[in-house]
Amino acid sequence: MHAKFPSPEWVRELEQKLNSDEHYARTASKWEGDMLIVVEPTGNLTQRLYYYFDLWHGTCRKAANLPGPEGLKPAFILTATYDNLVKIVTGQLNPMTAMLTRKLELHGNMAVMMRNVPTVLDFVRCCTEITEEIL
Amino acid sequence: MQPILKIDLSTGLSAEFIIPPEWEQFFLGGSALAARLLYPYLTAALEPFSPEAPLLFLNGPLSGTIGPTTGRSVVCGKSPATGLWAESNVGGFWGAELRFTGYDGLWVTGRAEKPVYLWLDDGRLEIRAAAGVWGRDTYDSQSLIKAELQAAGAHVLTIGPAGEQGVLFAGLFCDHGRTAGRAGLGAVAGSKNLKAVAVRGTHKIPLARPEEYNRLRSEANHAIKADNYSEVLHALGTAGAIDYSDYLGALPKKYYHQGAFETVDKVSGSSMAETILAGSSACHGCVIACGRVVRLEDQQKRKGPEYETIVGFGPNILNDNLAAIVNLGEICDRYGMDTISASNVVGLALRLFELGLLKESDVGFQLHWGDVEAVERLLQLIGRKEGLGEWLAQGARRFAAHFGVEEEAVQVNGLEVAYHDPRGVSGMALVYATSPRGADHNQSDYFFVDWGQVEPSLGLQFFSKGAGAEKAANVARHQDWRTVSNALVICLFANQPVETVVGLVNAACGYDLDVPGLLLAGERGWNIKRAVNNRLGLTRANDRLPKALLEPLADGPVAGFVPPLAAMLEAYYAARGWDPLTGKSSRGKLVSLGLEDVAIDLWGPE
Repeated sequence: MHAKFPSPEWVRELEQKLNSDEHYARTASKWEGDMLIVVEPTGNLTQRLYYYFDLWHGTCRKAANLPGPEGLKPAFILTATYDNLVKIVTGQLNPMTAMLTRKLELHGNMAVMMRNVPTVLDFVRCCTEITEEIL
Repeated sequence: MQPILKIDLSTGLSAEFIIPPEWEQFFLGGSALAARLLYPYLTAALEPFSPEAPLLFLNGPLSGTIGPTTGRSVVCGKSPATGLWAESNVGGFWGAELRFTGYDGLWVTGRAEKPVYLWLDDGRLEIRAAAGVWGRDTYDSQSLIKAELQAAGAHVLTIGPAGEQGVLFAGLFCDHGRTAGRAGLGAVAGSKNLKAVAVRGTHKIPLARPEEYNRLRSEANHAIKADNYSEVLHALGTAGAIDYSDYLGALPKKYYHQGAFETVDKVSGSSMAETILAGSSACHGCVIACGRVVRLEDQQKRKGPEYETIVGFGPNILNDNLAAIVNLGEICDRYGMDTISASNVVGLALRLFELGLLKESDVGFQLHWGDVEAVERLLQLIGRKEGLGEWLAQGARRFAAHFGVEEEAVQVNGLEVAYHDPRGVSGMALVYATSPRGADHNQSDYFFVDWGQVEPSLGLQFFSKGAGAEKAANVARHQDWRTVSNALVICLFANQPVETVVGLVNAACGYDLDVPGLLLAGERGWNIKRAVNNRLGLTRANDRLPKALLEPLADGPVAGFVPPLAAMLEAYYAARGWDPLTGKSSRGKLVSLGLEDVAIDLWGPE
């Protein structure tokens, strides 16, 4: 249940984790909305990455790494540089700190988001728990 | 900065006061500069309602420019509620307009024979009779004065009936419902027979390096507009914080005695946005627009409540009816009362009634949690100082003391605690215990740091929200930073790096400060306010928390936890360089901050 970040395996592992983690299932039970994570190239990453997660009532209905955002209208878009995202998924950077100090950009329905901050934090916890190695 | 206009209401005379230039750079402006200016005049013997008591309205060097978030100004003096340093800042457009008159401040003393208002039109002062507006509420007073002046573009800062009658948590209101609410300075204005101050001007804001400033403020405005926090504030108002604050256990319920309230979300910023929200409003120079405009069943547009008002008249009294909160907030506004203190004292009354310490015969009717009609009646009594309202209007400390249970009042040094429970965000324990105006969330919104807003350039570290003494130096650092914000009188909601603010200050004032230099000015401001309070009798014994906040909650996310205040305070004094016995800034600290005269005043000649 561990994978290298970023990689297609990491996305698959995260999908499995989200669908098997009881704490996430409870915390995210009211979450409705898909999410696109945009990774801006910095450090070892040379091209932009797009990770898509269709999250619904504590489950992940679909996870994919995509070549681009074309055709998508995700409920939420999270954007971070590769370096900052590495810090987040390895637990070196608190996700709230990232959001509040301009290291993780967030777009979407804020009414939904602010009701569900714990879901986002638990999503990140799941990320950290499956991340074994960095590119 | 521009001169301050000194006005003696007893004589009707006025004169320009030039701010010593060395103090401008030392204290930056706003409340820190005001503390320096008022230091000799704020004595223990000074009665806050005496004619001699000063009321100083002041701006900062960025005020009135086109941002970022530069629409605030501050009013300072001696609080009738606490007997200590008082400052309360207000948004809207009034402060900017005051700067446009060619003055950066108004220093009011004396007492007019009859109610008056000041009309400062582009530097020309007129003291006008206020007989026609005395007794009128704050909304009507603004409209009536504007109608009387027939001066397009004038902005009016006014008190309401509560200020006229000496309610100890009366504030000053402008631009409809923008409020300098805390510490009772509206009552000080009322004691001077000063109903309002109307301003209008055409002067240009002085900037040392205007091109540089305009470039920097444009960049800063764009960055603030794109910031996550701004996006939440714009979409949901400050009430956007309610759900997460509740999740952390930082949202007080049932007058700080209950840890869970199932229907909190019904009064959240999210729910407001999905139900009654009709628009937003912004202050001068602000790209955030956190102000709420709501529409209730009568279809009239009204000011929507912010976080403190919602929690105070919501979970604090076990009410989950958002429309009722809007109504209760408007009643406070119209009377001219601070909603934090008003809802706190109302919550205290409900608690004392539940405990059987307050009887129906004391009140005139029954009090029960969640009964918003009874709460409305209490507010009317307070605003008119009728019946029990006479005692409620004295604030929580005096009200509880009247019934022999002062320890039940959730206040520090006479100022009612804001709605960020230190059992959920422990940094607020130190903030409330040491803030210069009592239990205050605006001298440091450290709850936000406990959320995770750990600004790297401030040199802050991240500690868990329940950490103890290890976060003391962090809190002190953040207080210094917010003292800078309050000296510049910029809005705390502008989530911007310290470097940005340094650049703006340097460009506006022609300084060459760096980040440590700016924070040193903040530390100096914090210490001068402490010294003012020491002169007024404050000692280490004043650095405390009320009983309720040092008792564990039985339920909710932080059940069983209390912040280790004693250990935190010990570490805090060490971090501050304060004398642990007296609680005063040490001689060495004061001298190192360039406050030699204050060191001699507090400690005697060496």
